[in-house]
Amino acid sequence: MIASRLGRSLVRIGAMAAKETLHVRRDPRTLALALAMPVAMLFLFGYGVSTDVDHAPLAVSDLDASDASRALVRAIAGSGEFDVVARRAPGELEPLFRQGSAVAALVVRHGFGDELRRGRQAEVQLVVDGADALVANQVLAKLDAIVRAESRRLAGPGPDRAGPPIEVRLWTRYNPDGKSAYYMVPGISAFLLAITAVMLTALAIAGEWERGSMEQLFASPVGRLEIVLGKLLPYLVLGLLELELVLAVGAVAFDVPVLGSGLLVFALGFLFLLGMLGQGLLISVLARNQLVATQAGALSAMLPAIILSGMIVPVENMPPPLRLLSRLIPSRYLVHGLRGLLLKGNGLAVLWPDLLAEALFALVVIGLATARFERRIA
Amino acid sequence: MTAIATRALSRRFGAFTAVDRVTFEVEQGEIFGFLGANGAGKSTTIRMLIGLLAPSEGSATVAGHDVARDPDRVKGAIGYMSQRFSLYLDLPVVENLLFFGAAYGLEGRALRARAGELLERVGLAGQEEATTGALPGGLRQRLALACALLHRPGIVFLDEPTAGVDPVARRSFWALIRELAAGGTTVFVTTHYLDEAEHCRRIGLMVDGRLVALDTPAGLKATWVPERLLVARGRGLAAAGARLRGAPGIRAVAPFGAGLHLRVDRAGPSAAAIGGALRQAGAGEVEVEEAAPSLEDVFLAVVDRSAAGAAP
Repeated sequence: MIASRLGRSLVRIGAMAAKETLHVRRDPRTLALALAMPVAMLFLFGYGVSTDVDHAPLAVSDLDASDASRALVRAIAGSGEFDVVARRAPGELEPLFRQGSAVAALVVRHGFGDELRRGRQAEVQLVVDGADALVANQVLAKLDAIVRAESRRLAGPGPDRAGPPIEVRLWTRYNPDGKSAYYMVPGISAFLLAITAVMLTALAIAGEWERGSMEQLFASPVGRLEIVLGKLLPYLVLGLLELELVLAVGAVAFDVPVLGSGLLVFALGFLFLLGMLGQGLLISVLARNQLVATQAGALSAMLPAIILSGMIVPVENMPPPLRLLSRLIPSRYLVHGLRGLLLKGNGLAVLWPDLLAEALFALVVIGLATARFERRIA
Repeated sequence: MTAIATRALSRRFGAFTAVDRVTFEVEQGEIFGFLGANGAGKSTTIRMLIGLLAPSEGSATVAGHDVARDPDRVKGAIGYMSQRFSLYLDLPVVENLLFFGAAYGLEGRALRARAGELLERVGLAGQEEATTGALPGGLRQRLALACALLHRPGIVFLDEPTAGVDPVARRSFWALIRELAAGGTTVFVTTHYLDEAEHCRRIGLMVDGRLVALDTPAGLKATWVPERLLVARGRGLAAAGARLRGAPGIRAVAPFGAGLHLRVDRAGPSAAAIGGALRQAGAGEVEVEEAAPSLEDVFLAVVDRSAAGAAP
């Protein structure tokens, strides 16, 4: 009895899903939106919006003018990462930043060489144009690496030191080359999946309202949950294909590794998509109109995925209220989880909170959408 | 056998009563017409009968199932064709049939066979692969009917099935409906076209949420238009007709198309006398003849008298 009811229910869900697949297949624009756009955007972000910095214009204030300080500057200029464009007194650096003719300045204080010779911790000051947080990060990371290596060489095997000759705390782990693609591919995956999943479902369901066929469906024995599941299924498959595509392009074109388990990547993507599809569903249930659904879908998917996911601005750097808000955004967990999976090879032991958070979000939005759906009629 | 039975069925939306204590029965195999102006409560009644909307008060059974307690059973037992026949226009004809069939639990070979049978019956055989959106309105409407019939429902609800369809297509659609009823299917149909309502065995008339008349077309005419009906054609009729209003023996004067409809007492003035009176009242050359009342006359009389708050 229960088995046959479940069987009938599955037939109806299957019918909904098959119909939806036909809609997608007969609408090349949807397919293009789902598959070509992500790849195009990945290249755009990967190359065009590359945040890699080479030959960054650097200003130098060498107040020490010792052998050691000159060697340091030579090392920086010779690295290929920086071009020394100006030598100024520290007080004259400001205009360079204002004009944008330098993105960073190295200030070597008087006594730098002496300190190193005496085995004390020497100090150099890095001044960075913070207007572009991404560039600033890269510049700092690179300068730090060069300065550290060079100062160690300059100091030589002197007396025992308490710490490194120059202390600069910067985050360069897991992306030692500072390649932006490593950092961006997981973020872009979240962004693209979020947009397409939310928009496609929002459109598909709002279309059913607009066409008037929703009422026809409600008048049939197809249940609300069956409509919802049947509608989501094809887009879930499409979304997973899209994720695979983005990762494949990331691996081939940008050498982004996939160190973790493919199954976990799949699970992470699956739960995330479920949440995004649920969000699209909720929007369309509330909006009932394709235009409104598109706008609301794009905004609600795009903004959090860009701003709050950690794709561009690290979650750690957000002001506390935003950091708190980001906990409600599934893209945050996908970005965090994917970075761990792709770049660090994290396993389930580290990943489970991300999976759990995604699953919770999906459960809540699909539950809300189905409940709202129910209340629309009756 | 009773296919549909309602008892004091009511539906309120906030302070507004859309359907007000409606009671009627529809026999199995009957074509039952449901008439009324926009907003009279026709669609709300249908939505309650097909299990889409819960009644506020009263009850209704459809195909033996209570619509409030067992809406899912009701849905499985009936066919429904909504106002804008909501097909998927981007899909081929046959896919619409296969989808709605599966939605009603048909599968595999049985579904394909049934779809083929219905395509044949509604005159769409050979057009299986045509894109639904490319079909003319009349064919789309037939396809929508086929979609509602796939699971062999004992009762079909057609909500304004002929809206926006040309007269030839309307006529052939009604031939299909009569065929359906002849086969034992109950047809519950709403329409704006009063000429179509003549095809119904019985007609219910809704005004402001209340069922104010329920009878066969002939019965309705006898009850609501007991007077003789005269039709006047000619020029200058509007002003002249207005002057005749309230004259002895003349019950009502209403513009009807380009002419006038006059309801006069059985023993009232003859057609020739009315013609003379109209000319005297300033009309040009007029021609007046006796006519049989149409459902439109009934409709106007019902709305008139309901507005005045009186029974026939």
